[in-house]
Amino acid sequence: MSERVTAERVKVFAAAARVPIQDDAAARAARAAEPTVRRLDELALQLPLETEPASFVAIARKGARTQG
Amino acid sequence: MSDPALLSLTEVAAQIRERKLSSVELTQALLARIEHWQPRLNAFVRIEADEALAAAREADAELARSGPKGVLHGVPMAHKDMYYFAGKPAGCGSKIREGWIATQTSSVIRRLQDAGAIRLGALHMVEFAMGPTGHNAYLGPARNPWNTARITGGSSSGPAAAVAARLTYAALGSDTGGSIRIPANFCGVTGLKASYGRVSRANAMPLSFTLDTVGPLCRSAEDCALIAELIFGEDPLDPVTAGAPAWNEAATQRTVGSLKIGVPKRFYVDDLEADVAAALDDTIALLRKLGAKTVAVDLPDPGAIDAAAYLVLSVEATSFHAPWLRTRPQDYTPQVRNRLESGLAYSAVEYLEALRWRGPALAAHLEAIGDIDIIVAPAARAVAPKIADTDPAGGANPDAIKEMSRFLRPMNYLGVPALVVPVAHSAAGLPIGLQLVGRPFGDETLIALGRALQQASDEHLRVPQLQ
Repeated sequence: MSERVTAERVKVFAAAARVPIQDDAAARAARAAEPTVRRLDELALQLPLETEPASFVAIARKGARTQG
Repeated sequence: MSDPALLSLTEVAAQIRERKLSSVELTQALLARIEHWQPRLNAFVRIEADEALAAAREADAELARSGPKGVLHGVPMAHKDMYYFAGKPAGCGSKIREGWIATQTSSVIRRLQDAGAIRLGALHMVEFAMGPTGHNAYLGPARNPWNTARITGGSSSGPAAAVAARLTYAALGSDTGGSIRIPANFCGVTGLKASYGRVSRANAMPLSFTLDTVGPLCRSAEDCALIAELIFGEDPLDPVTAGAPAWNEAATQRTVGSLKIGVPKRFYVDDLEADVAAALDDTIALLRKLGAKTVAVDLPDPGAIDAAAYLVLSVEATSFHAPWLRTRPQDYTPQVRNRLESGLAYSAVEYLEALRWRGPALAAHLEAIGDIDIIVAPAARAVAPKIADTDPAGGANPDAIKEMSRFLRPMNYLGVPALVVPVAHSAAGLPIGLQLVGRPFGDETLIALGRALQQASDEHLRVPQLQ
């Protein structure tokens, strides 16, 4: 299975963020992030178009209102 | 008279107001214990004895002059060193913030001060709250009062150690991925991770704006309620609290017989150490005896929720720290720098999908729990491990360290409240806690159940002895 998160990718993202990163650190970061990215890939998320981060607030308040 | 340092927050607050104890007596009692325990625990990063005694004398004089300022009049306290007090340093467990002086006071600290609390000093924490063990390569590790070879847990390491050893009556911690609940569990104290958006984070050190919560570590659920009543509610300085309900004391009076308790069928009950599994079973039996209805519940994929929480936390922490990663990377300890660099590995789309999924994930959780009021689950699969075995700088397995938060991070992502209560001690004499997980904004119901458990057990009253 090919890696989703590579050291090369981390170096590109770090350069875009203007954060210096050594080769070994980029490789370490890629190894650390890989399981998380793969775990979320497994979900194959198909979020409704209208879902935004603040949707959470509305759902939390609805969940609170239904308390006994 | 017995040592007033051993009384609860609720007891000492009442006794000061009733003029049965003075603030100076309490402060002296705590300072005496701190003198003995601090060399063994490393729980404090600063002890401000002279200033605390001066504040205590002023509190006693004010009480005589004009009565109590509030419910915490003259009660000495110390908090995690990430809450800002104007004019005081807040090192955040780091070299980078060493010597930095806050110009503002945290809203939660202001509320405790307005209620009359006085400051004893500041408590140890993991560097920038990035780690679950209590190690800090810059400050040295905090140590568990029940066995100083064991970790406290983190990142609110000092608050848990200090509350457990009776060096402060209560302490504020913070919980982004378990940072109140891990050390509360390992040190045998009661810790409340508040619902996201119910407690202001203004002028406290941020880690992840999506997941950060503020809450107390105390000697009991009763004491947590006393602090919660003061710090919960809207704050114009923290927009996520807009519309947040204030603390509802009446809701803490629910009876156990009115509660429906969920017990997870998987994940949270998998691969537990025998002592932890027994503590869970015994507590479920106690809950039934107290009249609660218990049901098994299948919660939606906690592993995926944990992964989303980890991704969001990583990216947001790296975003906060990007300016220092550009200019002062050498001033982080290697372990924290490594963690921050891992936040560079995720794409913007991955981050935003993890963030957008939060609402649907909560909706699925609510669908699964139905009308369940509280879920009871372990806070960790085992008791506090040894400091030497979990040192990130000493070659400990990072995955094993990350595992310490696996039962806890999902609640940060879901934004739900959780209360850790000590329920047992292991055969080796180490505390075992459980987490009670509520519905959104159901913090008061957790206090109701925590209080009932602590009325039926004296685990929370056990005090570690100096080895």
